[in-house]
Amino acid sequence: MKDIVGRLDRAFNPRSVAVVGDKMEMGYMWLRSLANFQGRVYSVQIDEKELQGIAALGVKNYSSLLDIPDEVDYVIVAVPRAVAPKIVQHCIQKNVGSVMLFTSGFAESNTEEGIRLQENITEMAREAHLNLIGPNCVGIFNPKIGLRHTTDQYWGDGGNVGFISQSGTHATFFTLVGEVNGIRISKSVSYGNAAVLDAADYLEYLGEDEDTKIIGMYIEGVENGRQFFSCLREIARRKPVLIWKGGGTDEGTRATASHTASLAGPPLLWDALIKQCGAIKVDNLDEMVDTIQALLYAKPTTGNRVGLVAMTGGQSVVITDAFARAGFEVPLLTERSYREFASFFNTIGSSYQNPLDISSNLPHLDRIIRCLDILNDDERIDVVVLDLPVVFMTRISWLIPNFFDDLIDALSLYKERSAKPLLAILISAHAESEAIEARKKLVARGIPSFPSFERGANALKKAVAYYKSAALQ
Amino acid sequence: MVMDEIIAAARKEDRTSLTELESKQILKEVGINTTEIRLARSKEEAVARSQELGFPVVLKIVSPDILHKTDVGGVKLSLNNKEDVGNAYDEIISMIKKHQPSAKIQGVSVQPMARPATEVIIGMSKDPQFGPVLMFGLGGILVEILKDISFRIVPLTRRDANEMIREIKGYPILEGYRGQEPANIAVLEQLLLKVSEFVESKPEIKELDINPIFAYRDSALAIDARVILEP
Repeated sequence: MKDIVGRLDRAFNPRSVAVVGDKMEMGYMWLRSLANFQGRVYSVQIDEKELQGIAALGVKNYSSLLDIPDEVDYVIVAVPRAVAPKIVQHCIQKNVGSVMLFTSGFAESNTEEGIRLQENITEMAREAHLNLIGPNCVGIFNPKIGLRHTTDQYWGDGGNVGFISQSGTHATFFTLVGEVNGIRISKSVSYGNAAVLDAADYLEYLGEDEDTKIIGMYIEGVENGRQFFSCLREIARRKPVLIWKGGGTDEGTRATASHTASLAGPPLLWDALIKQCGAIKVDNLDEMVDTIQALLYAKPTTGNRVGLVAMTGGQSVVITDAFARAGFEVPLLTERSYREFASFFNTIGSSYQNPLDISSNLPHLDRIIRCLDILNDDERIDVVVLDLPVVFMTRISWLIPNFFDDLIDALSLYKERSAKPLLAILISAHAESEAIEARKKLVARGIPSFPSFERGANALKKAVAYYKSAALQ
Repeated sequence: MVMDEIIAAARKEDRTSLTELESKQILKEVGINTTEIRLARSKEEAVARSQELGFPVVLKIVSPDILHKTDVGGVKLSLNNKEDVGNAYDEIISMIKKHQPSAKIQGVSVQPMARPATEVIIGMSKDPQFGPVLMFGLGGILVEILKDISFRIVPLTRRDANEMIREIKGYPILEGYRGQEPANIAVLEQLLLKVSEFVESKPEIKELDINPIFAYRDSALAIDARVILEP
């Protein structure tokens, strides 16, 4: 086990946390985020005006880290930047497990003072072997122990997806958007300017972490490209690693400099690196979420032939375009399949070539499932995709109560007996909130769903490419 | 080791840019197939070298100060006999004296004229974050205009070499489009792997440009090459 893994273990699994400099102006966001932390919480604040508010949260306050009569595993620092070196010094004296600096205004500010302060704390931390996360970040999220950076985040049951993000917003959004898509976090970290610990260190840690099966990364730049390259090459062999590279355009690289003071690196080389390491390239949060959902919930396949089931004619056309454009084959089925369809399928206003247009066979739930079973048994098909428009599902449920819930039950049983991956496409149209509820229900039963044909096709494409690449290793 | 001597000699002269002759000697030492190349310091030597190699031959100026040999009239192709070689030698020298009088002339290289084929290029440059990076592409206008090139970070695996060749849009040309002689892909893969190994083992190489390489059905031949050393 590499040294860094042992060092970071205490940071990711702290038993005591101290928050330095939380204040009313920020709504005591840090102390409140720790409301369910399964360990001891301390506050450090010298401003008299804040003491009452901190006491009201039931947290014991000290006027210095050094006064806390306990070991401190993880320190959250939210002080003004000029005070940061003093706090880092205290962390060293106190021998804390790690320190995370929410404080910003360092190298990314491109000011003389900011750069000097960052150099200052970096040097101190390196010399003392202090695990410094950030600065300019929101640090660790470990739901299992209730260590969060916002009260919106869940706690209790952890998941199996790790996330490493140079941006706090993306780390937070991923955890929240992921949750409604059946993606739960094992451990995540936002690490900002990466003054001391960089992407490769966190990747090394989550690579070893047994709870983490898939790793997502949002990176703006790395200090040591070769170290990152060899680390990623090794870890991506063991688990899927998805990389979302911020600053993937020449224009975007300007923004990375002022956001996290990162040298973005040429986009072409990042593409090469991701490919060489067998990692998965994604370009935005949606692709990150969709692809991870496909990897988690769709059965693995290296096949390229899709069987498409649409609920209406118009959708049967565009679902086919979407999957064909993404490079999938939409083949005709075997004679045997067609004979079976002929035995029950109402073809007036519908059709079953591939794509299937179920239209007039609705609302017969058993017919939908029978269509899926036929596709599952057809040797010309590798993947089954089902169109589930929320608006129609809702309408049918007016006639047949519980139709959608019954359908989900049936789909779940189908998934258990089928050998091929099943993807649902759940277009919300104007019913966004109903769609989110429906997606949660589906994924709770193990069925991945996507908000558009294009996003579903794209996620499937990335998953298939990953399985193909992994098979070549 | 020829390579170490060449590098030491360049260092002594305080230059980082190696000549084609030096670059090819280095490539040869690491097992990369290049055209035969011999140095001639006089007209008589040029004729003698061309007779040893057999006609037709190519003459090229050898000078560490000249980056683009063709631009200054420093290259003469398809020389079929002693007279051609002698005249070409004189012409090259006088052209250089006219176009770039300050250039230090080491002599003229004599090389056999290679049979034309599909041209590919392999380059290495260093990225501040990722270190040595290999580039592969088709030669000629395809690389210049269409930027049809692929990159990989050193060290390359076999699979990287395989994929970076197949990744370029012009790949069908290498497969032998419309009856053209196909390139030997396995040989090109080997070549990429050799270059990767070589630049990884010699960190003092700053840049390498093998352009063009003639890709034949059963082999590949480096026609021109240029090595730049780290300062």
